[in-house]
Amino acid sequence: MTDHELSRPDSSMGLEQEQSRLLRKALQRSGVRHGDLWLRYFSIGGTVGEYEVDAYIQSLFSLPAGQRDLLAHAANELIDELPPLPRAPYLQDLA
Amino acid sequence: MPQQLPLDELTLALARIRGLLLTEEKVDRAVQRLAEGIRDAFPASSGAGASLMDEHGKRTSTGATDPVVLEADAAQYELGEGPCITAWATERSVVIHDVATDDRWPLWSQAVRELSIRSVISSPLMAGTRCLGALKIYSTQPGVYDAASARPLEKLAVPAATLLDNIQSSEAPQRFTEVLASALDSRDTINRAQGFLMHLHGLDQATALQQLVELSKSSRQSLFSISTGILAGTKRTSDDGP
Repeated sequence: MTDHELSRPDSSMGLEQEQSRLLRKALQRSGVRHGDLWLRYFSIGGTVGEYEVDAYIQSLFSLPAGQRDLLAHAANELIDELPPLPRAPYLQDLA
Repeated sequence: MPQQLPLDELTLALARIRGLLLTEEKVDRAVQRLAEGIRDAFPASSGAGASLMDEHGKRTSTGATDPVVLEADAAQYELGEGPCITAWATERSVVIHDVATDDRWPLWSQAVRELSIRSVISSPLMAGTRCLGALKIYSTQPGVYDAASARPLEKLAVPAATLLDNIQSSEAPQRFTEVLASALDSRDTINRAQGFLMHLHGLDQATALQQLVELSKSSRQSLFSISTGILAGTKRTSDDGP
């Protein structure tokens, strides 16, 4: 992948900013680490390096739309795999 | 984009594995320093040692201030019994007032009779809930230690274990290789599923991937398991065929 392709401005820069900001927020809220995100993204076919992905999460770097969606997908897979919050037991459950 | 594999990343991953392997040497040095520090901190002691063990209680790294400690240590792991193994297994400190009269580890006591080791304390190296190994101090005189003298050793063991945990590496390269292998296997599976969809529906690669992502989103299954399913289906179809 060439630098030109990586940094080509999207027709809608605002959307990319929004996408990376909300990804950042999702990672913060779920506690998914950037390294783990990159590994999953790489595992599902991502082609951009860890350093660039990290910069994208900080909204400092532009990625092609396809890679952004793949990154979002990797994040969502990891978030879906997180253990659910503990539920309160009913008396019956304890008996 | 003819080159889809991020070779830089693979190179980095391999470099990391090599880096992890190299740190084994660092662990040995750290354990050695720790043993020396403990001896200096307990002036009543004749020697000290630190051992790291893996999840199965196999010794992976040992540091000691003198050959006597090493010999007494080696005897424990050969015989499968001794104060450090007990400290590791029970995750509690072990105090021996006199090796000559203590009957908890008869084989080991017998083996170290000639080594002029009489008093011993061994404390577990706890990193969180995991026990990494044990520290030990010993004296050539009997009756030197009691439960109260175990406390400062225990205090020292806590930060030591945390630090060692961060540099310990015996299983890390193995784990890392597994992670890399499974990442590559997953990529490969998803790629093959893409190729199958491209062939089946005459799609380009990006569209095929998009389809897979859509399937994954709507079924709430991971991209990997969707792809595995598609490929398993293919296999069945071709098996059924002529």
